[in-house]
Amino acid sequence: MASRREFLKLALAGSGAVVTTPVAAAKAEEKSKRWGMVVDLRKCIGCQACTVACSVENQVPEGQHRTAVPVYELDGPGGPSQAALPRLCNHCDEPPCIPVCPVNATFKTDQGNVVVDAEQCVACGYCVQACPYEARFINHKTGVADKCTFCIHRTDMGLLPACVETCVGNARVFGDLNDPGSEVRQLIASHETKGLRPEFKTGPNVYYIGLDDKLASTVSVGGGARDLRQTNQSAAHEEA
Amino acid sequence: MTISRRDILQGATALGAASAAVWGFAETGKGFYKGLVNEAKATGISAGALPPEYKVDPETGEAVLNPDQRVSYTMCMGCTSVCGIRVRVDKASNDILRVAGNPYSPLSTNPHLPYDTPVKDALTRLSAYEEAGLVGRSTACGRGNAAIAKQASKERILKPLKRVGKRGSGQWKEISWDQLIEETVEGGDLFGEGHVEGLRAIRDLKTPLDPENPEFGPKANQLVVIPPFKNGRLMIAARFAKMAYGTRNFVGHRSYCGLSMRAGYAAMMDNLKKQPHLKPDYRHAKYMLFVGTAPGNAGNPYKLQGTLMGAARDREGVKYAVVDPVLTNAQNHAFGSSNSWVPIRPGTDGALVMGMIRWILENERFDAKFLSQPSPAAAKAAGEASWSNATHLVIDDPEHLLGGRFLRQGMLVEGLEEAAQKTPICLAKGSGELIPAAGSEAELFHEGTVTLADGTTVPVATSLSLLRREATRKTLAEYSADCGVPEERIVSLAQDFTSVGKQAAADCHGGTMHTSGFYTAYAIVMLNTLVGNLNVKGGTTAGGGRFKDVKKGPRYNLLGFPGKVKVKGVDAARGGFSYEKTSEFKRLVAARKNPYPAKAPWHAFTQPMGAQWLLSILEGYPYHAKAVITWSSNPVYGVAGLDAAIKEKIVDPKILPLFISIDPFINETSRYADYIVPDRVFYEAWGWASAWGGVPTRISTARWPVVEPKTAQMPDSRYMDMDNYFIDVAKRMGLPGFGDKAIPDSDGNLHPLHRPEDFWLRAGANVAFDGGAVPESNDEDMIVSGVETIRSLLEKTLKPEEWRRVAYVYNRGGRYEDAKDTYRGEVFARSYKKGMQIWNETVGSTRDSMTGEKFVGCPTWKAPSLANGQPVDDRYPQVEWPFRVVSTKSQMRSSSTGGNPYLDDLKFSNAIALNSEDAEKLSIKTGDWIAVESPGGRITGQALVRKGIATGTIGIEHGYGHKEMGARNHKIGNVVLEGLSTAGAGINSNDLGYADPTCEKAVVLADPVVGSIARQALPAKITRLT
Repeated sequence: MASRREFLKLALAGSGAVVTTPVAAAKAEEKSKRWGMVVDLRKCIGCQACTVACSVENQVPEGQHRTAVPVYELDGPGGPSQAALPRLCNHCDEPPCIPVCPVNATFKTDQGNVVVDAEQCVACGYCVQACPYEARFINHKTGVADKCTFCIHRTDMGLLPACVETCVGNARVFGDLNDPGSEVRQLIASHETKGLRPEFKTGPNVYYIGLDDKLASTVSVGGGARDLRQTNQSAAHEEA
Repeated sequence: MTISRRDILQGATALGAASAAVWGFAETGKGFYKGLVNEAKATGISAGALPPEYKVDPETGEAVLNPDQRVSYTMCMGCTSVCGIRVRVDKASNDILRVAGNPYSPLSTNPHLPYDTPVKDALTRLSAYEEAGLVGRSTACGRGNAAIAKQASKERILKPLKRVGKRGSGQWKEISWDQLIEETVEGGDLFGEGHVEGLRAIRDLKTPLDPENPEFGPKANQLVVIPPFKNGRLMIAARFAKMAYGTRNFVGHRSYCGLSMRAGYAAMMDNLKKQPHLKPDYRHAKYMLFVGTAPGNAGNPYKLQGTLMGAARDREGVKYAVVDPVLTNAQNHAFGSSNSWVPIRPGTDGALVMGMIRWILENERFDAKFLSQPSPAAAKAAGEASWSNATHLVIDDPEHLLGGRFLRQGMLVEGLEEAAQKTPICLAKGSGELIPAAGSEAELFHEGTVTLADGTTVPVATSLSLLRREATRKTLAEYSADCGVPEERIVSLAQDFTSVGKQAAADCHGGTMHTSGFYTAYAIVMLNTLVGNLNVKGGTTAGGGRFKDVKKGPRYNLLGFPGKVKVKGVDAARGGFSYEKTSEFKRLVAARKNPYPAKAPWHAFTQPMGAQWLLSILEGYPYHAKAVITWSSNPVYGVAGLDAAIKEKIVDPKILPLFISIDPFINETSRYADYIVPDRVFYEAWGWASAWGGVPTRISTARWPVVEPKTAQMPDSRYMDMDNYFIDVAKRMGLPGFGDKAIPDSDGNLHPLHRPEDFWLRAGANVAFDGGAVPESNDEDMIVSGVETIRSLLEKTLKPEEWRRVAYVYNRGGRYEDAKDTYRGEVFARSYKKGMQIWNETVGSTRDSMTGEKFVGCPTWKAPSLANGQPVDDRYPQVEWPFRVVSTKSQMRSSSTGGNPYLDDLKFSNAIALNSEDAEKLSIKTGDWIAVESPGGRITGQALVRKGIATGTIGIEHGYGHKEMGARNHKIGNVVLEGLSTAGAGINSNDLGYADPTCEKAVVLADPVVGSIARQALPAKITRLT
């Protein structure tokens, strides 16, 4: 892997840009599909089943996650309150991560999944910087950009994404936003839903029921646990 | 050294097509991937992902299996909920790839699949086809997902170990299975430290172990066996220890887990022996009150409660409150004002609830119609789904010989038949006449006197009057002052609880594990009695029970055999035996000495007190043990204060001569063992379990080896494990119930018990036939479910008419009654028959072995106190010990998850949580290192400053602070078994537990009534470390 990455970096440096256009293979019937997710925050218990299932399913290295559920303690007039916020790639309609890719390694499939072709990625990290949702990272093991694919390898087989399959609270609902009869469409029709960071106008395809505006506008809301985790990690590094 | 997930799953992702031909599938593994995304692109986008286990035809919905993998249904043991899971296994490598839920299991699915759904259709029902997998999704929780790392862990013990250094030194050598069996059975000079009696010599069923105290039973009781919770494998160990070996010392872990809750329910539900308990009907309740329990954050069944709470928050008109010193994910921000967190001082829930009860009684907000029915017959006539003893008269004089007992017909009238003598007496509604509790309503409140048949007059009161007396001992203002919850809030909780009829439910759990735990739990569950919600849709349920497995069933009797021993004697820590019946008590009385206090508490009506066993056998009160076997249990980690109390004595072979541990890992208890017997982890093991609670339909979950065990094999191909250890010890000793003629079938023929399958598959035959036989499995279904891998064992072990039916059950990971059979009209189809006890006669007529006073037989509020009755707050005043420590259950951790790389990755350490106001006073910020000191210990860790914790409280998440489970190195022969860098991180609040200073013989602090261990409300002070 490392050598291939080095090779690609050199190629990039030499030619200015390596442009390959991935061919979207598609049959007629899938053109009508557009994947999306609704997360009903009233049902999320913060158990991290999705987090672990995703790591196992997608073989994501330790210390990195394609999805995670930070839990916040929000303070309000009625006292403190627990808010779990499942986070993942929003598979945006206007993904800020795509135009910045110098090699067109990242693209949107006909069904709306924002994906990275690892064979093309040169690990420049521009997309990681561009994503307002902290949903991308450079995978320690593969050395290239990595992110949630909506488990495209499973949905293509007629299965559900790993995180959805194992969601204990049944909070994550996945389906076809183009199908008015789908569960996601019905939930959107019958509930107030919000997307994260509306100010970026990304057109996210992950919709939240019960999202507090305090969490909608920022993904880096602090909180004791997060601070502690960072402290812990630094402490552990010092010891090691 | 760390294990990376990559390493664990190495090989798992390799595509291999070799097995396809063998399985007779047309497609090869490689061909399987030719899906909708072209192959080259799939490599680039999802190369790292696991190959899907099957695919579903978008037109027909038919599931097409990946020939390289199998999906099998078995039982999880990531915590104690024992959920049904589906395990995806790579056939070539024998690696577990991933787990999720078993769609047939009501513990993992809401609602679960009809049982007759074909196994291949079940896969379709889990898929995206017609969105079936959204409604039908079957889950594993975060911990359940992560638990796969256990199976492949490098910390596992795979061969028998014998210590070569001192106990606890971490120096071992591998020995053969034969040597293990020989040495532990025959004894000898095993360690060069002198002669050690083996299991054979200890088994003396005739000679009293202490002639001075014959009630202690025979010498065989000096073998003490400490297994884990009811994990589905318990009964083969029980068969060995109790029924074959004949020691009465075989115990569960309840006394350090949630005994106070179980005992509180047991008192209310009139079954102190079996300790049944209730769960709210989450699907239909309109108001729920959780005190010291946090559904969705912890509890049992953890996952199902999480699912059902999620669903409840999507229902119109549902409200609930969580009373807890610590804010957890049981409260949900997105659910808004329909749920609330009520912070409370640790250990004082009882004050809050007795305040609620006072208000409910004074304002007549109870269900008078329900409570007025004195018998099942009256309840039935009145259309009630249960009944209570609210109206029954109690002899209201603690010092009277019959004090605390019910007034019964035989006490008033002579010459009645036995059944009639026992009938309780109440007062006819309206006339106030004394009548036997029968078909008509009775008076709820009365205090007066009654003249007995012998002419004496005794004071009497109804159960409900006695509850009112206890509830009115303090004013609402006083209750509020004790618990720190404002008076208005106590009232609003009581109002909410009594505003929705019987669709209100109250529940509690481990938050009550402090020294007023029993009465606290009894008070909380009493709220259910006051609204009469038992068996009612939207109220509470005792669960649907299980299919017969090891008990005498339609095919075999696994618990009865020729030569079965009936155990006798007092258990190793004075549980379930009245102090007044001991020789010690009688000697003191004869010598005209005050027999109270006892040297340490005796608990007359509780179950065996496993939590105190290690300590009591080291102290020798009531007696010393000669050998201990722990199996997958870890009291040293799990019992508050135990480690400090035993660590000097447990390493002394003169005090405890032989210590054997059976465990896949070295834990804080087995570190002290002389021998470690390797064991299967749950994916590899056999067993049968049921739901612990919360499942209203009948449920039996199967455990079977869905992957080949990693433990070493013996020459006869058996795997080294717990089952085989007990089998081989029993056979070597010639014990009854093992060997050739051991297991009777329903015709009385005897079948052998040489291998674990001999036991567990026959239990499976009972499950398959109980209440009507299930159909036979065809060959294809066994292939789909992976049961094909145990087909030869099924055929070899079971009868021709049995094995395919048992395969049918294993195909589905157990046997489950259909969800449609949950209710019959507005009541649960499976209902609990005994009445709700406002006054429990057994409790109310028993004396405290330390103070000599009679216990109150109904809920009451008494602040947490020491064994001599002194309040903890007097002994450890707030001025000096301003904090109270609570252990909070983790969503991710359990005591057995130490060293799990997935969990460490998410949060490798816990912290010391404290309230922001307290932190400000002490100038403590999140991340600061602080020390917490209690009367029993001192721990250091990092502070986590929160608003979501009551002032004066320290909250510590359980499951961290391991000293073993991968936290240190061991040496086995010349090889170092290296620890994991993160495994010991964090702190264990049990290190702050302490021994009761008021007992002559050492005991860890416990509830005076039932002996549940006090792991909550521990006094403490904080120092900031600079």
